[in-house]
Amino acid sequence: MALGADRYASRADTLVFLGCLALSLAAMSLPPAWRDPIASALRQSVLAPFLELQRESELLSTSQSRFEAVTAQRDSSALAATFLPELRAENERLRALLGLGRRLGGGYVPAEVLHQAAPTDPLGLVLSAGRDKGVRSLAAVVSPEGLVGLVSTVDAHTSIVITWANLEFRASAMAADGSVYGIVAPHGTEGPGVWLLELQGVPYRQLVPTGTRIFTSGLGGVFPRGIPLGTVIGVAGETEGWERTYLVRPAVHPSAVTHVMILLGAHDLRNAFTTDSAPAGGGGLP
Amino acid sequence: MRRTDKYRFYFLLAMLAALQFTVRSRLGDERAAPDFLLLALLIYTIRTQPGKAAAAGLLVGLLRDSLTPASFGAGMLAHTVVGYLSAWGKAVFFAENLFVNACLFFGGTWVRNLVIALASGKLRGGQLGWELLVWSPLQGLTTAVAGVLVLWLFRRWVHVRVSEA
Repeated sequence: MALGADRYASRADTLVFLGCLALSLAAMSLPPAWRDPIASALRQSVLAPFLELQRESELLSTSQSRFEAVTAQRDSSALAATFLPELRAENERLRALLGLGRRLGGGYVPAEVLHQAAPTDPLGLVLSAGRDKGVRSLAAVVSPEGLVGLVSTVDAHTSIVITWANLEFRASAMAADGSVYGIVAPHGTEGPGVWLLELQGVPYRQLVPTGTRIFTSGLGGVFPRGIPLGTVIGVAGETEGWERTYLVRPAVHPSAVTHVMILLGAHDLRNAFTTDSAPAGGGGLP
Repeated sequence: MRRTDKYRFYFLLAMLAALQFTVRSRLGDERAAPDFLLLALLIYTIRTQPGKAAAAGLLVGLLRDSLTPASFGAGMLAHTVVGYLSAWGKAVFFAENLFVNACLFFGGTWVRNLVIALASGKLRGGQLGWELLVWSPLQGLTTAVAGVLVLWLFRRWVHVRVSEA
């Protein structure tokens, strides 16, 4: 196709451009109640084959890595078979890896994270499980390390998750020993504390030592009790004589997550995430 | 141009869209991996008029926003602007070589991310700085490399002269 000066923007081109700009601005100002059904309809129609393609691709990728892991384990097992005590220890380690799924019982749905190429991807993730798997709105989404976020929209085969990095995210939280309660929220987007959480509303007289692990408290009924949120790394600020806010390093970063579990029931997870490697203030929950 | 050439061109765009949902997740960090969907839009804008490019950008943006509801509308705005400016710029500068096209892909990706970041209002301060100075240039670079490869491999399909310096 020839390119030339005749392809400069005509009046019609300018009008189309202005029309598209107006539509874009109108879309930005749509309330969630209007825009969510539009987005959901597109995900279930035009984008459905592409999302299915992405899901299959993720499954294939997982299958390959599992195959390599199984091959490596088989080779290791063949070598270790001559040393029975070592084989037993290996089995113990593998059981520990499977521990979270076992401790959660049956009340969860596994899902792949379908990452998108947008700067705001870590704020809202697309998961490969939807209504067909029993996913419900406001279900907690966790990885073996801790809380990722909660389901905001559920489609037939996919769902959208608001992660803890989203400015609208809030969770009722407590220290590991149950001595301190507060609200965990994103620290914000200013300064060096980007991608951190903060524990708000802690009474001034209650000190939370650095290294204390923070868990969901279960208050409010949205998140089950006992999901790790992160670890306190310092004081973010204080209102004189009233309350302190603490900086919390998140247990998991949304952009690093590839597989998650969507919790379907209101479990008490105080023992599900307990690990031997928990730092001071961690470990068993009240 | 033969009728089959047109079909080949649209087949190439569909192939890029499929790559976005299959191969992209295996190409390293999500924030720096090439954006094949944006690349398809930019390649389309090389051969079309600014009005059609803006409309195509609006459509691509709408589909992207359906997958990233945290910034609904911002993607439409960004892709519309990038599509229009890309088609208009190609007509004005009238340059047809690999380097100019690579610059177009790099700049298009960076401007797209800039508009999304600013219009969505979700990224500020340090986050915005990292996005615009680190991740967006990296994504622009990988997208430009992928675009140059596509143009070089399929130059007969897209009817772009790539051998002139």
